[in-house]
Formats: sequence, structure tokens, C-alpha cells
Amino acid sequence: MYTPKVAVLFGFGINCDHETAAVFEMVGGKSTRVHLNSFITGLDELSNYDILAVPGGFSFGDHLGSGRLMGNRMRFSLREELSKFIQAGKPIIGICNGFQVLVKTGLLPGPDTNEPDFIQRASLTLNDSGRYEDRWVTLEFNQDSNCIWTKGITQIDCPVRHGEGKYVMPDRESLAKLSANNQITVRYVDPNNQYNSNNDEVLPFPKSPNGSMMNIAGISDKTGLVFGLMPHPEAIYAQWLHPDFTRGTAPSTNSEISWEGQGLQIFRNAVDYVKSIND
Amino acid sequence: MQITRVEATPKSGEGLKDVRGDVVRRRLKADHNIDFSEVRSIVGFLINSDINATLISERADDLFADPIIEYSTTNQTFLQSPEIFSATPDIVISVGFKPGVTDNPGKAALDGFRTIFPSASLDSDISTYITYAFYGVNGQATPEFIASKLYNNLIERAVISDNEMCNNGDWPMIEYPEKPPQEFKQPAHIDLEITDEQLIEISETGLLALNLEEMKTIQSHYRDETIQSARKEVGIVENQPTDVELECLAQTWSEHCKHKIFASKIHHKDLETGEESVVDSIFKTHIMKPTHDMQKEVDWLLSVFHDNSGVIAWDDEWSVCMKAETHNSPSALDPYGGAMTGIVGVNRDILGTGLGARPIANTDVFCFGPPDWQGDIPENLFHPSRVLRGVHSGVRVGGNESGIPTINGAIVFDERYLGKPLVYCGTVGLMPRKLPDGRESHIKTPSSGDVVYMVGGRVGYDGIHGATFSSLELTEESPSSAVQIGDPITQKKMLDMLLEARDAGLITCITDNGAGGLSSSIGEMAEYTNGCRIDLAKVPLKQPGLSPWEILVSESQERMTVAVKTEDSAAFERLAQLHEVEATAVAEFTSTGMFHVQYDESTVAYLPIEFLHDGVPQLQLESEWVTPKHATFVPPTDADHNSILIDMLARPNIASKETWVRQYDHEVIAQTAVKPFVGVERDGPADAGVIAPIHGNPRGLVISCGIAPRYSDIDAGAMAAAAIDEAVRNAVCVGVDVNKIAGLDNFCWPDPIQSEKTPDGKFKLAQLVRANRELERICRAYRLPCVSGKDSMKNDYGKGANKISIPPTLLFSLFGDHPDVRNTATSDFKAAGDRIYLVGESLNELGASEVSFMLKENGTCDGIGGTVPNLDNPAKLFKSYVALSKAINSGLVKTAHDCSEGGVGVAVAEMCIGGRTGANIDLDGTGDESLWARLWGESLGRIIIAVSPENEEKFLETMSGNTTTYLGEVTESQLLTISDGYEEVISTNVQQMVDSWQGTLDMTGGEI
Repeated sequence: MYTPKVAVLFGFGINCDHETAAVFEMVGGKSTRVHLNSFITGLDELSNYDILAVPGGFSFGDHLGSGRLMGNRMRFSLREELSKFIQAGKPIIGICNGFQVLVKTGLLPGPDTNEPDFIQRASLTLNDSGRYEDRWVTLEFNQDSNCIWTKGITQIDCPVRHGEGKYVMPDRESLAKLSANNQITVRYVDPNNQYNSNNDEVLPFPKSPNGSMMNIAGISDKTGLVFGLMPHPEAIYAQWLHPDFTRGTAPSTNSEISWEGQGLQIFRNAVDYVKSIND
Repeated sequence: MQITRVEATPKSGEGLKDVRGDVVRRRLKADHNIDFSEVRSIVGFLINSDINATLISERADDLFADPIIEYSTTNQTFLQSPEIFSATPDIVISVGFKPGVTDNPGKAALDGFRTIFPSASLDSDISTYITYAFYGVNGQATPEFIASKLYNNLIERAVISDNEMCNNGDWPMIEYPEKPPQEFKQPAHIDLEITDEQLIEISETGLLALNLEEMKTIQSHYRDETIQSARKEVGIVENQPTDVELECLAQTWSEHCKHKIFASKIHHKDLETGEESVVDSIFKTHIMKPTHDMQKEVDWLLSVFHDNSGVIAWDDEWSVCMKAETHNSPSALDPYGGAMTGIVGVNRDILGTGLGARPIANTDVFCFGPPDWQGDIPENLFHPSRVLRGVHSGVRVGGNESGIPTINGAIVFDERYLGKPLVYCGTVGLMPRKLPDGRESHIKTPSSGDVVYMVGGRVGYDGIHGATFSSLELTEESPSSAVQIGDPITQKKMLDMLLEARDAGLITCITDNGAGGLSSSIGEMAEYTNGCRIDLAKVPLKQPGLSPWEILVSESQERMTVAVKTEDSAAFERLAQLHEVEATAVAEFTSTGMFHVQYDESTVAYLPIEFLHDGVPQLQLESEWVTPKHATFVPPTDADHNSILIDMLARPNIASKETWVRQYDHEVIAQTAVKPFVGVERDGPADAGVIAPIHGNPRGLVISCGIAPRYSDIDAGAMAAAAIDEAVRNAVCVGVDVNKIAGLDNFCWPDPIQSEKTPDGKFKLAQLVRANRELERICRAYRLPCVSGKDSMKNDYGKGANKISIPPTLLFSLFGDHPDVRNTATSDFKAAGDRIYLVGESLNELGASEVSFMLKENGTCDGIGGTVPNLDNPAKLFKSYVALSKAINSGLVKTAHDCSEGGVGVAVAEMCIGGRTGANIDLDGTGDESLWARLWGESLGRIIIAVSPENEEKFLETMSGNTTTYLGEVTESQLLTISDGYEEVISTNVQQMVDSWQGTLDMTGGEI
């Protein structure tokens, strides 16, 4: 059986590279932590890999806006390689800082075609609270999305750990289009259902931890291959990482792996997708 | 070269807001009750480059502004723009850095600038500023007062436009901070053939912090004829020290580096018992000896005391190390920069352990003045709320940006920390027992001929005299050069690179550049091979013009010193280049016995390694113990315990710190099983941090701490015992394997050397003796080796009558093994019907208790005196810890909480808060006859647990032979009721307790 090769970027302040590499391995991928400069200088080639993960962290200290400087390095120095990767139909995920990077390179939400144009159409900005916070949220997944990463997932709990996670777009039309395209893949919801998840009104803090427009937590591009989200699904790879596990109420999964956490399925989906193409 | 100004400001519109401005608005409201209707912000960049303004302007939205959410403008200020700033502000304040101060956003901007303009000249630089525009003030506030809350004069500058200037369109224009030229000075030499008074004067005016005996030891070194002839051979002044040598000796011999008080010979008198004795080094006697004795009994103590942190074997594959440091003096002067430097500094201690360990968890413990302090503030220092905000944000940025989770800590408040806040930062590290090349990772393997690299940041004028400065008391004239701002991203890049170098087998020796700079780092490593030769001219500088002694002792941050075999140099440098990390060969190891420093060809320092490290004479000190007198705490006969509970929960020492702690990333690395807050709403207190650092493996580590400075008021020995017991209890609550725990002792003391400025020095030293005697006694009883520690001995502000001395404070940190994190307990009550027990016994020990301080402060009682909690029989407690840990880590017990400040009353309240559920508690039969002792007393050795009815019997079997008393049951209701037999003493609603507990330290300035 084919073993998908995953490039997990690191360097310049990315800091979730170890756990992101680990979760892909848990679901049958072969992860390599690759310094961004290895791709830029040609020490390694992006085309050697089947999946690209841009993990969370504080690239360049988030100065000048989160993900901005890392995004620029990729936009100006890795443009062709990224274009080819996407057109080859290979999945990309950006988590937290990685999502911010993908938004600022213009890969998310991306153009209406399958060819990336590296134009920024949205942004992730300071939380309304003005505070960086680490807290757990509940996420609801769009069942009509074509995103290969989120297939079959309805709802999970996982932590957000960011100061700049508020998703914004310049006008209502852009948001409406994103919604109509089913590119709004993940949203913050109220786990107690006090607020209706079909409503686009921003949830009160801290159910929405940041004040994101339409409670957006993550989006995908037109192809469904490029996916980014602010919360950290890799941080709930095992149930013992869930804050309720000592209470015996941490959500379980159908997996055969005992104590598997809800976040792992996202990574399994991509690995399985690559396997299904290559087998 | 020309300077171009670019500004960015948030767009307004549906769903958009100026968050940066709003944070300032809410902070002014929370801390000073100044209410503005709106605050807007502008971020500014001053670009000093050969790229012209037109080109920069065209690309401004690619770099300086985010076009989706921000406007940009070039070579003007937005305040002039009627479209964007249509209303005229009432006050405008612009804040920028002073020349030479680390400007991290500027540094990042420069990096981004080079991505866009690769041809920009090499000496291009960018400086940043922030402008705030204030609208609609409600209340009294001068522009100067507002400004003073926004910037720190030591490192920043502010330009202000008041109302009139605003109306005239006269806007603050902050200018590019040109660095003042530094004058390169050839090494001077200093004549020491002078009077004793003159020797002392040299030490004092030079901030050397050396005493007369030490100065005379140096004097006689240069009189030695063999020394003189050796010096002649290398062409350095024969009979006098150069300034490089004197500075180097001062750093190496500083209290900060050499721990002279802990190494001193103490003539100890106990005026109560008549005991007279001599302690020949507290450290060797009470800390090192017990640990070495324990080392003979276990096989997991790999490396203790001599490295940058203590290392224990965790399993066959991995070892774990931990270190805690303080950064008190810099945090007093610049809370943000000082604290950030503290956390990133201790991270480097881990990276510098063995051949390099990876930092995997941070801890932080702060001691501050009361956050709502209304009294005077010592000159040059800040209000405690400002210190809290600054220190917190320095540690937050340092930890979060480094990708290291902060999993445990505490914040303690006492008026005396006004004079000097305590900022303890700790880090846990993980390393493979063996490297791919077969070397054991905890052993350094340098040899003569190895190339010594300085890696990471450059050397600047910042951080000169940090080590000696922290060995003196704070005064109004404390120097600004001793303060620095950390740069976590430069350090993170270095960390990534060095861990790759380690795994590639390229490193033979590594250490951190902290106190004393290169002089300490290379000097200490040179002990392994017995010699080194350094060329200071090779050291990369932040700005030209630094003199040789400044280069040698500067404590500029983010630097490691790394030794590499000559044949590995090329590979090491390639790796550095890939990671964009600066690595410069500046020295080599020798076996000459000499610390040999050159500047190009000329020798500027030539000191025997032995003299440098072992030449400092042992201090001879006196201590004298008399028990302090306090009015006895006599509880009132009629008291409303309901309102006492609500008031106690609001005490800063007890109140929830969630606002602050939630801003730390406590989950990066995906390993944190027990997080700082637990329970239904994830807002109940956790007792200890639990992590499972090997992905996919539930084997865990427990990290906890204990601190009890108030007990020092009665007996510093009891204070130390309480701190250790608390750290152990906290670890037991989550199910630590008590057979594999290790500790760190971090002492912060007021100056304990008797002198004119410290007339009570003998007493303070006696407190230190008692604390260490108790440390030894308890650690031996708990089989708890101290593997690393630190002391900070000059925590005073000012001199004479207005002197403020901190209460003697021991922070005890603990790390230990956890067999399986899936079997752990948390403090929140889990389910109605769970049976509640008290493990341990409540004695009549209300002296210096939190309730005594509260009732004294509100005038109900006269004093805090009485019996302070003591550990008379630690062996008995240890036995109960062994049993309880077993009950928890075998999965029998899911709820456990330590009983400390506020006793059983506060502990069960917190357990109700975490579980959002009520409980019925009966205190009858839990110890002393006094209800106060059983309800509010802080006797050690007590833990409250709850167990499900089906596990109750097995639990009691496990605990058999240990004092375990039934307290009551968790209930369906939202009511905590506490009775003493038939008498109900407390009946309080859970939500009321939540509100009180969470209100005090919220400090967010209201809704967003």
C-alpha cells in the first residue's frame, strides 16, 4: 500500500511542527519536518511530497500581522512550486499560524479557478477581546463542503490558541460567495445549542473566541484540497488531551485506536485520500 | 540613505474594530478608572534605507499594511488625513523605542523588507512606533499622566499632543532613533597599589560589587612574581589588571554567579536555644549532601548541580531536566523586557544542558505588591498592576512565541514585593538518553582544539553589568543598560538549528550566554579542557565601537556558546546558514590553564582558570536567631463564616488568575493532559500540570510548585517546609509516582549580610539557615533530591529607614514521573453522590494564615501570630502520599485537591466551582477542637478527595493506616453547606462563590 509523504514545514517561529508530524504518522503517513529554506534553496523539492502541512506557531513573531512575513516568503520565493503542487491535486493544510499564512499568500480562499493567483482576499486579524487566549471551542463542519480534509466529520471539540483569529472579508458579497460555494468549512458553534448554528450572527465571547465574521473557524479553496483553520485539531489526537477526560465525558470516536481523539480524523482523511489516488 | 515614514491604521466598517486602541481604552478604565469613549491606533515604521519613498509606497500594502483591514500612508501621518481621522482627537500620544533598544517589530519588518527589496543596502534598518488618538475623556486625566501609563521612560520615548495642539493640527512626529556612536576604548589598566578605601571606591564606582577582601585578593594576584613573568611573555601589563580582567573577575565572582552567601562559612547562634554552631556552606551541607546521599540509592539521578539544569533518567530512551531562575531586578525596572528575558533565558539553560535538551514546558511564579495598592510607590518603580501586566505580557510573549507551553505557576501578593517583584521562570527539557552517534546526551565532551562558536544574537551595549547589578540593591540610579528586551524568534531559530546540530553529532559542548556574557559562558566551559583563547575582534556586534571589556561581559540575549570539532565546522556553519542563524567562531579550547583573551593580536586578559573560578575568598558571616514577636491571632467569637468564605475567595492570593493564565499557550506540543484550569466550565484550579510528551504514549510527567512566603513572618524554616510539602501535595493530587520525584530550590532573600545598610542582617541570615535546615530534613524524609536551584540574595529596595525588604521566599518546583496520564485526578467535583474524604489532619495552626491576615487587615483581629503550620512528622505524611498517589494513578480516585491557603473551607469551595455542583460537608472529627482550625487552618499534609461510591471501599483499603476522614457528599444542588456536627456554619450558592473568586483579578476592563 502506498505511504503518503507529508512535508511538515518548520523554521522562523513555526512551533507545532513536532505534533503535526506525529499525527500524520499515526494515521499512516510518512512525515518529514522540512525547513522552509530547504525548499527555497533547492535542498529539497516540494514535488517530492504528497501533502503539505503548514503548522501553527508565531512565524516571524507575527509582527506586521500574523503569517504575513512567512506568507510573503512563500508568495515570492515558492510561487511556482506551490502552483504546481496545487495543480497536481495534492492536499495542503494550514493550522492556526499556518492558516494565517495560507490566507496571506492568497491560497485561501483562493480564486474561482483551480490555478492559484496569490491574491489575498481575506484576513485574520486581532481577536475582538484583544487577548491571545488558549481555550477550548466546539466546531461544526459543513456537510455540503467538498473539502477532502473534513469528510464525514460533523462536530469536534478542540483548542484555539491565538491572538489573531478573527476571520474578515472586505464586504458582504465576498462572504456570501464563500458561503454559496460551501467554502466555509468549519464554524464555531454553541455546544449547548443556546444559539442556532444556522444563524450568521457572531456568537458571544467566548463561544466565538475572536469575533470572526459568520463565526468562521476554517475555510477551504474551490478544489477542496487546500484547507485552513484557526483551531488545533492535532491537539486532540488522544482523548487524554480533552479537558473533560477526568470527568469521563470526553467525546470518543468510532476508531479502533483506543483513546483516539476527535481531531485525528482530519489527518486520516487526507492520508486516505492520497492513498486512494495512488493505489 | 534616507528615512521614509510608513503608517498603517485599521479600517473601520461593519464587523471591523480598532482592537489595539480598544485594549488601551479598557486598560485605562480597569487600572485608573479613566474612561475614554474611543481610542484609535496607528502603527508607524521609520525606514532608513537607500530604497526611495516612491518604491516603498508602491509596496506598502505588501508589507507594512494588510490591505483587507488596514490603510497605509507614506511620508505623512494619518492624523492629517480628514477622510480617515475626520474627528479631531483630544489627546495624541506617540510611543517609540529609545536608540539601541531591541525593536522586535522593526527587526521583523526589516526581514520582510529584504524579501521585497533584496537589493536594499546592508545597513538598512527599520524602527517602529505606535500612535494612540484619544477621544472623549470622562474624568480627570492629563496627557502626561496617560502617556506615563503607555511607555517606560527607561527604554521608550513618547511625543505628546495635548488638546490645544490637536486643535491646531500640531501632531506628534516621532523621529528615527539614531544610535549614539560608541567610542572604542583600548583596554586600560588599573593600579591596585592603593589604599583600602580607594580599592572599595573602584569597586563601587565601577559597579563591580566586589568587597574589600575580594579586591585585596585580586591585588595580591598581581603581586605574584610567577604571574608577572607569565604575563610579560604574552605582552600584557605585568603587575596590574586590565579593565577587561577586572570586569571579568567582577562578573565571575559576583554573588549572582558564585552564590557566595550559600558558599559562606556561617557562625550561627540561636538565642532561644543557646545553640552555637558553624555551617560551612549552606549549599554543600543542606542541599548538595542530601542529594548526593540519595544518588547512591537510585539509578535515575543522571546529572545534578554542575550543569545548567539537573537531569534525571525518565525511562530507557528519554531523560528529563528542569531549571528555574529568577529575573527580579530587571523586571522591577522594565517589567515586560525583564520578564521576557527571564523566560527565554531559562529556556536557554535547558538548551545548554548536556549536549542540548529541548524545552517542552514552562512554569512561572510571580510575587507582586497588591494589585489594588493605594499607597506610595518607590521612586523609579511601577504600580503593582503595571508590574503585573508587564511581567505577564513579557512571559506570555516569550513563552508563546517560543512554542513552549506554560503548564504550571502561581501569583502571590504581599505589600513588600512593591520594592522588588519576584519573577521566577522555570523550564522542563527532554532529551534522548543517547544521541544517534552513541554519546550520552547529558555529558559534555569538549576537547582541546575544539572551535568555540557564538550562535544567535549579536553583542550590543544592552545588558552590560546585569550580573553585578542584580548583586546590589535597587536604587533610584539603577542603570538602564542592565535592562534588555528578549527576541524570542531569533532564539527559536537558534533552538531549531542547534537541536538539529545536536542530533547530527556536531556539538561537543554547549552552554548559555546569560549573566556575565561570554566571560562566563566560555570561561565556565574552559574548565573542562583547562583553557581557552578568545578573540573579541571576531565577535559580531549590534553596533560598532564596543570596547573589549564590554564585548566580553555584555549579556545581550539569544546567544549560545557551542563547541564543535574542527572537522565539523563546515557542516555546523551550513546548518546555521539554512536556518538563517548567525554562528561565528570566536574562540578555541586549549589546555594551557589560562583564560586568554585577545583583541586581534593583542592580549587583553590573561587569567589562570583556577584563579578565575576558585580564587574568590570564602565569606565569613554571622547569623543570630530570635523568634519574631507578633500579636497573637485570636479569632472573633461571633463570625459569619459565609461572608468570610466569600471574602476569602476574593483575596488576591486565593482569587482565580484565569484572565492571566489563559493568555499563556498551555497546550502547544499537544501533550498537556491536566491543564491549568479544569472542570465543567474549565475554570476550576488545577493542582499540578501533567504532560505526556511522547506523542501517542500516555506515560507522563508531573510539574508542580509550592510557595508560602507569609510563614516567614513567624519562621522561615516553616516557610520552607510548607513550600516543599505544597509542591509534593500538588503532585500527589494528580497521581505522581512518589518514588521518582525531583525538586528545584529557588531562594529569594533580602540581603542577609550584616552592615550599616542592613542592621538586621544577622537575623535574615538566621532565617536562611533555618530554611535550609528544614529543606534538608523534609527532602530526606520525602526522598526528594534537589537537582538544581538558584538563589537571589539582594531583594531590597533603597537604603536606611525607607528600605523595603521582601519576605524571605523559597519557591520549590517539582517534576516527577507519572505512569499513565489516563489515570489522574483533577480538583473539580465530578458527580452527585461521590463520597468526600479528608486525607490528613487539621491542627491548631492558624499563625500567618490567610484568614489571619484578612481579619487583621480589616481590623477584626490584632495580629497574625500563633503557631505556624509545621511538619513534625514528615515520614507519616509521606506514607499517606504514597498510598494516595497509588489510589489515583491506579484509577480509583478521579477528584483530589490540595488544601493550602484558606484551608478546607476554600478548598471545597474551589472543588464546587470546578464541578459547578454543591456539596454537604461535616467538619466534625477532622482534627483540632477549634472550628477555625478545621475550617480555615492551613495545616500541612492535607488533601481532599472525592471517590465514586463503587470505588469507596477499595480506596479506604488503599489508605488503611493513614488518617482519612469522611467529610460528606457531592450533591445535586448548587449549594455548598459546611457544618460542624449539628451546627451549620456555611451555606453558600456556587454561582456566588464563582463571582467572588473570579472578580478580583479579572482586570480586563469590562465587556468587549
